[in-house]
Amino acid sequence: MKKLLSLLLALVMIFALTACGQSAAPAAPAAPAASEPEAEEPAGDEITLDVIICQYGPNTNEWFLGSGMNGTNFVDKFEAENPGVKLNLDVVSWNDVYTEVDTRIANNNAPDILNIDVFANYANEGLLMPVKDYCPDELFGDFFPQFIEQSVIDGTVWAVPDLASARALFYNVDMLEEVGVEVPTTWAELEDVSQAIIDFYDGEVYPWGIDMTTDEGQAAFAYYTWGNGGGFVDADGNWAVNSAENVEGIQFALGLIEKGYTNPNPATQTRYDLQDMFAAGKMAMVIAPNQLPTYVADKGGNINMATAGIPANEGKTGSSVGVMDRVMAFKDESAPDQAARNEAIGKFLTFFYNPENYVGWVSMEGFLPAVNSAVEALVASDPSFGAWLDVLGSCQFYPAAKAEWDQVKQGVIAAEQNALTGADIQAELDALQAELAG
Amino acid sequence: MNTSLNRNKWEPYVWLLPSVLLIAIFVVFPILIVFKLSFSEISKAGVVGGFVGFDNYVEAVHLPAFKVVMLNTLYWVLSVVGLSTILGFIIAMVLNQKFRGRKIARSILVFPWATSLVIQASVWNYIIKYEYGNLNNVLLNTGIINQAVNWRSSYPVEFVWECAVGIFVTVPFVTFCVLSGLQSIDGSLYEAATMDGAGFWSKLRHITLPMVRPSLTVSTVLNIIYVFNSFPIIYTMTKGAPAHKTDTMITYLYMLSFYERKKGPATALSVIGFLILCFCAGVYMMTVMRREEEQ
Repeated sequence: MKKLLSLLLALVMIFALTACGQSAAPAAPAAPAASEPEAEEPAGDEITLDVIICQYGPNTNEWFLGSGMNGTNFVDKFEAENPGVKLNLDVVSWNDVYTEVDTRIANNNAPDILNIDVFANYANEGLLMPVKDYCPDELFGDFFPQFIEQSVIDGTVWAVPDLASARALFYNVDMLEEVGVEVPTTWAELEDVSQAIIDFYDGEVYPWGIDMTTDEGQAAFAYYTWGNGGGFVDADGNWAVNSAENVEGIQFALGLIEKGYTNPNPATQTRYDLQDMFAAGKMAMVIAPNQLPTYVADKGGNINMATAGIPANEGKTGSSVGVMDRVMAFKDESAPDQAARNEAIGKFLTFFYNPENYVGWVSMEGFLPAVNSAVEALVASDPSFGAWLDVLGSCQFYPAAKAEWDQVKQGVIAAEQNALTGADIQAELDALQAELAG
Repeated sequence: MNTSLNRNKWEPYVWLLPSVLLIAIFVVFPILIVFKLSFSEISKAGVVGGFVGFDNYVEAVHLPAFKVVMLNTLYWVLSVVGLSTILGFIIAMVLNQKFRGRKIARSILVFPWATSLVIQASVWNYIIKYEYGNLNNVLLNTGIINQAVNWRSSYPVEFVWECAVGIFVTVPFVTFCVLSGLQSIDGSLYEAATMDGAGFWSKLRHITLPMVRPSLTVSTVLNIIYVFNSFPIIYTMTKGAPAHKTDTMITYLYMLSFYERKKGPATALSVIGFLILCFCAGVYMMTVMRREEEQ
């Protein structure tokens, strides 16, 4: 009897464990397919859209799924206003989103709508739908044209911008006044100002911040190559990472590090480390996005700061770096009614960019808007938005629409980091250019 | 009687079934999938294509960082496993002695082991920070140094720090393994040896080491696997920078897959890592077991 009981217990355990495995599966990125059939199953004419939103800050989750949207949330409000369309929305951190999306694609379970920064690989591999298939014309006309241009491959728009930020030079006004120097506009002035700061503070303050980490080394490449008339691509849009201007630009940045004008470990000190130093009064100047004042305030810093253009080489024009994220829709051949699915995606976008919802979200996250209809309300709520929108209008973007962008991004970071350990930057960039040509 | 014998025959398998099923579903099946992927074409977006033979393996071993990453992995495993085993053994010997506060000392030792590795690595990042790190603050405030020291002045130094943190979090595990072995040694053995005139080293060599060898074997094999597969310390402290010079195989293949989007070579590397681990752990286990059989 005892043995029979043991056997029964063992069998119960097996089933229990199997059941645990099944219920745990949807939560794991490796096997989200388990939850899929249920989510996709239409109840009558109901359509369920799988949506992935990136986590921009601590309030993102509350906004979309909690009660951060005036007591309600995005999903509930959307579903109330759009009967027949359900949202299966996940807020995923930036650290995990690439892993999550790639795993879902590998499992043939791509989301219907994805919010992320990159799009070219998905578009080139035929996974995305053209924006015109689902985006209402009125909404499409509302996007800033220079943003839309960043998501075009072979004349087709594959994604729409969700928000943007622009980088500028932030400087500690009190510090520069104390030293008795003006904010630098050229590289030569930057070196002079840096030396003056070093002399005045006896090396206790870093004059300048450089981030050549895996996170943002491509931004450093942009600052110093665009500021010297170079860049990732040439005038025809072809890769030109090893141009003379680029080599000179990066050599200038490396020189700043060598002369002790910057933070000591640019390969491992991220932009956030630099912002922390700036907030703590340990760094006089840093290139940062428009959210820096909020960031400094959150850190308890009380810095009298102002913004200026990013310094460029003599006779060259500096350019701000625009960073833009996107929303895109994946194909789903298994959807029973493609037209209805496209319409549902359109409804999602219309609701998302409706100023009533969008303005609150953009200002909560501290970014800049991507649609004209939000500008007026945002500028009214915070006049500093106006100046930043001007900066955004004139800034350059990464060539993220080119298929090799991932390779170039990691390649320039590796070149910078190798150069930091003594390698020749010319040889490093030549090798990357040859790899791209091959 | 016969029925009872038959039941006894298959009963152990029924008891084993849940574990076997779990291992099959969550370990063996994913391993087989990775093996299959390593011979498949995988696009940048993660779409799995057709069979490509050993192309992914060839690409993986020809990557510029492959050699340095393999060497780093070797240094990482040898230094962390080796030094934490020696230190753990010494600490276990000390904690096996009777002294006031022994229980507190044993409890404190659990902390590094019980804390998440990401938290440990982040805390150490703050401790050795040049600008406002705790280490510099303490040394400056106590007058030991006059000027802040850049504890992360170059990438070899950063790698040494990573190894040090690895050792710090691994020592408690070894200590407790060895301590359990030490506590099972019959005190009369030491008494007899003392009567025969054996000294400290002689007792260590002829009694302690042979008696704790099974515990040491377990801790070493497990540590080889854990340390080889350890991701959080290196990813949190340097992310392999500069240019993969502080990466080990595990962090490198993650960067390769999700940053550089070279998913084919990344899967090939994970298979290579798996085979290396199987080989190392297998050889070690067989050597130790053979020695025990000989004895």
